[in-house]
Order: sequence, then structure tokens, then C-alpha cells
Amino acid sequence: MVGDAGFWFIQILNSLQMSMLLFLLSVGLSVIFGLLNFVNLAHGSLYALGAFIGYSIAQASGSVWLAFATAPLAVMAIGAVLYYALIDRLRNAGPMNQVLVTFGLIFVFLDGVRFLWGVDPLGVTQGVPFSGRVEIFGQIYPAYRLFIIALGALVYLLLHLLLEHTRIGAEVRAGVDNAEVARCLGINVERSFLLVFLLGCALAGLAGAVAMPTFSATLGMGVSILVPTLVVVVVGGLGSLKGALIGSLLIGSTLTFGQVLVPDFAGIIMYALLVIVLLLRPAGLFPVRS
Amino acid sequence: MPSRLPGFQPLLTLLTFLGLFLYWLTADFFGYEILAEIAVFAILAMGLDLLAGYAGLVSLAQGALYGVGAYAFAYAAATLAVPAPWAILLAIAVSGLVALVVGAIASGVTGIFFIMITLAIGEMGYEFFFKTPLFGGDDGFFGIPRLDLSAFGIDLMDPASFTLLLLLCVLLVFLALRWLVASPYGVTLIGLHENSHRLRALGLPVRLYKTTAFAVAGMISGFAGALLAQHTSFISPELLHWTTSGEILVILILGGLGTLVGPLIGATVVILLKHQLSAYTDYWSFWLGLFLIAVVLSGRNGIVGALEELCLLALRRGKLRRQGDAAG
Repeated sequence: MVGDAGFWFIQILNSLQMSMLLFLLSVGLSVIFGLLNFVNLAHGSLYALGAFIGYSIAQASGSVWLAFATAPLAVMAIGAVLYYALIDRLRNAGPMNQVLVTFGLIFVFLDGVRFLWGVDPLGVTQGVPFSGRVEIFGQIYPAYRLFIIALGALVYLLLHLLLEHTRIGAEVRAGVDNAEVARCLGINVERSFLLVFLLGCALAGLAGAVAMPTFSATLGMGVSILVPTLVVVVVGGLGSLKGALIGSLLIGSTLTFGQVLVPDFAGIIMYALLVIVLLLRPAGLFPVRS
Repeated sequence: MPSRLPGFQPLLTLLTFLGLFLYWLTADFFGYEILAEIAVFAILAMGLDLLAGYAGLVSLAQGALYGVGAYAFAYAAATLAVPAPWAILLAIAVSGLVALVVGAIASGVTGIFFIMITLAIGEMGYEFFFKTPLFGGDDGFFGIPRLDLSAFGIDLMDPASFTLLLLLCVLLVFLALRWLVASPYGVTLIGLHENSHRLRALGLPVRLYKTTAFAVAGMISGFAGALLAQHTSFISPELLHWTTSGEILVILILGGLGTLVGPLIGATVVILLKHQLSAYTDYWSFWLGLFLIAVVLSGRNGIVGALEELCLLALRRGKLRRQGDAAG
């Protein structure tokens, strides 16, 4: 089976699908990180919230599409509360305090989710779009995973247009490049930061919601996705859209192909990659600031 | 961190050790379990305090080095039948050596990147022990022996005497670290925290100091691991997971950075709170998380900082009243 071209094609698709989920998660984190050096360890928890809220909406309404549309908005609303209650105050508190407060948030969210949804994995089976299967090179592949890949690509395109071709995007780029100079030029960097933060929360929620039908919503999903997401952000380079995409592809394929080729060492290879990149290019592969 | 109230921290240290000892005197079996857990985490958090509080290096690899020590002890004592005292020294040496290598690599980056690289290297250790059958893989490692002091008439299988030994180990580590931070080496570490550029300009081999500090903290973690392995006689790769490192960091921050007594108080409060809260609610980590956020947002140096401020306030009030009395 391992020598089969179809098998490898399926693995490429699997790694793309994993990469796109990582991309949806890491892009917000990366730009927040780059814009004001803010580290949000609770980003993974927002992903989990997206999955659980998506599950409840899908159960209540019977429409998975509605869940995809509203779960990101709900997570964004939670993000707004976090912003005004905590994050705004922590902006100049140094990375140490940010790491600690958002680490505390992980505990709070973990138990909050456990209280509201219990400990069992939850998933929807009814009304999932693209639930059919397609045949590729003689292999059966779930169409839903292709949908995740397409969604990731679409989000990348939209973000690219937003960042490169709108005024808001230009302001965000200016803020990432040099916040002080941007402020002097009359750009409201705080507003850009809030905007990016909310968008990042919504994308994390979206990632959770679209992951839920295939992977189920599980209690530990937020914590277990957090570390690979951080690896993507650091490897790709802080604050860079392209870096988040390339980093996601790199880490997604390392994890997927690692699982197939050297199942015992897939995780180790990913961390080794991070260490090597940090030592050779401390600012990541595609740094915004040189 | 210089104290604004001379004599406060030594007094607090004395009271904390006295409190722990009194607790030991009155403890039942469950109490010994809690005390043992407090002792192990106090040692771990003191080791991290040397790094984070004094040298300004926030490491998320302490849990991994703790696990390395525990596995080194377990493998030496259970599989190779090395006598326990030597196995403890071996565990300290192995963790120290691993930490020396990790420190040499990680000291190449600073700030949040230092946190990230130590997190990544620690997770590599977790994955290694999780997947390696030689050390039991994800089943963990069973049947680890304890130090045998029956030649001196002490039965360490008795929870009371073993817990007392652990508390003495806490005292030993505390005294060793106090000596270290007061030495020229320790003062240099504090200087590194405050302005590493200036020290580099003065010709200090900055990376050498960071690396050795990392190694010392690693040795302390390894010691804690060897003690835990004897206490529970079973260890699993979970010890190395980054969330263990996070817990150590939480204990240190809640207690108070750069004080050495802070880790002790932090470990006591967090472990007691964990057990007390879990009696009332299933959701104790929710409250622990909120408590952590509140402490960090308060901007004080943990419990030690808050207590010190309270004492200062009380002293100032007393002084004002005396002045008022004298005037009236």
C-alpha cells in the first residue's frame, strides 16, 4: 500500500487539510503576535469553543451551515469580552504576564467547556454538507476534507486581498512594521489591533466549527492544537500572512507524513524543526520586520 | 528582588517551614500525601525561581527535566539495581547534563522565543518517553524502589518518615539556593536579568552564565524527579508534558518571583487549594485559573509581595498613630 501513488496522493490531501486548519488558527495568532507582541495562549481554547458552540447550534437548528456562520461570530463576541476585560490591560505588561494570564484562561475555558458540554466527544452526523465521498486515483476520499482545504484557500485569498488592497489592511501592515511610526502618522494602531484580534478569534472559531464534524468536539482539542499552532507562528515568522500559510503547510505535512513514515517521531521532528528555525533564523522564515 | 522590608522574608520563611513541620506533626495518611506533593513542587518551583526570578529566564522545560530525573532514577534503581543514593546522584547528574545541552541551545534566543524553544525541547522529551518502550512508553514505569535507611533504624516505607525526609530535602534545596543567589555568581545572574547588554559590554560571557544557571535549575528539577519517583513508585510521561512546566510556573508566580520563599508558599497554597476546592467542586481549575489571572493583574509580586505590602501598610499606620499620640 505504501508504494501506491494513490495512497501518497491521499496523504498529500490529508496534509493539506491539516495545514488549512492550522492556517485558520495560526493566522490570527501570528498577526496579533506581530502587531503588538501579544502572546495569546488561550487561542487554542477559542478553537475548542468554536467546535462546541458549533455543535450546539447545529443540534438546535439542524443546520450545519448555520453553525459555520454563527459559531465564529459567537467566538468573536467572547473575544471582545476578553479584549476589554483582560487583553487591553496586558498590552504593556510584558510577555511573561501575558503568558500567565492567558495560561490561566486555558484553565478557565477548559472547565467552562466541561461544565457546559460535559466530557464526552460531541459530533454531528446529520445534515453535514459534502458528506459524500469522491474517488481519486482509485482511492475513496471524503469530500468534506476537500471542503476544508478549499475553505482554507479561500480564507487565505480573502485575507490577502484585505491586507494588501484595502486601507484597513495597509494600516495593519504599517502597525506590524513599526507601531510607533504608524501612530505618529495618525494611524489608530489600537483599533487595528482590536480588529485583528477579533478577526483572529472568529477564524479560530471557524476552524473549530469546521473541524467538529470530522474530528468531533473534544475537551482536550484546544490544548493539543495550541502547541502546533505556536510552532507554525514561530516558524513562519511573526505577523506575516505568507509565513502563517507556509508555516502551516510545513508543519501540517511534517505531522501527516511523519505519522505515516516514522509514526514514533512525528512530534519530535516538528519540535526539532522549530528549534532549528529559531537558531538559524530567529525571526522565522518570513519575518515582516527584519 | 530587593525587599522593602528587611527581615520580612526570613521571618516568613521561618514561619512557612514551621507551618509545614506542624502540619507534618498533625497529618494523617492523606495529609502526608499532600505534604509530599507540596515538597516536590516547592523544590521544582525554587529551581525555576533561580532561572525566572533571578536570571530572568522563563523556561517551560522544567517539567521535562523533572521527568528526565524521575526516569533516570527509576531506570537506574529498578532496572539496573543501582543503590538508591547513587541513583539519586545519577538522576541529578543526568538532568543537569541534559539541561546543560538544552541551556546551551536555548540561550541563543531571548524573551518569548526563549519560552518557545524551551517549550519545544521539553515536548520533544515528552514525545521521546511517550514512544520509547525501554522506559515503558505511555504505560509508564512501575515498581520504583525507595531509599533504604533501615540500617539507621528508619523505615522510609512509612509515609511519616518519608514525608519528613522530603521536607528536609526542601530545606536543603532552599539553603543551597540561598547561598547560591547571595554568591558573586548569583549576583551576576541578577545583573543579567536587569541589563544583559551592559554585562556583555563589560566582558561577561553572558551565554555561559545563562547556560550554567539552566543546568543548575535542571539539576534541581532532576532531584525533584528522583524524589517523586520514590514517593509514587510509578511514573508516566505526563511528568514531562508542558502543562507540568506550566503548573510549576503558576506556583512560582502565585508565590512570588525572586524570593525563594515564594515558591514554597505558592506550592503550599496551590496544592492545598487544589485538594480543598476539589472537595467542594469538580471545577477547581476554573477557580485556580481566575485566581492566577487576578494575582497577575494585581501587579504585585504574588502572595509574598501582597503580604509584604500589607505588613508595610500596617507598620505605617502604627507609626502614624504613635505620632498622633505623641502630638496629642
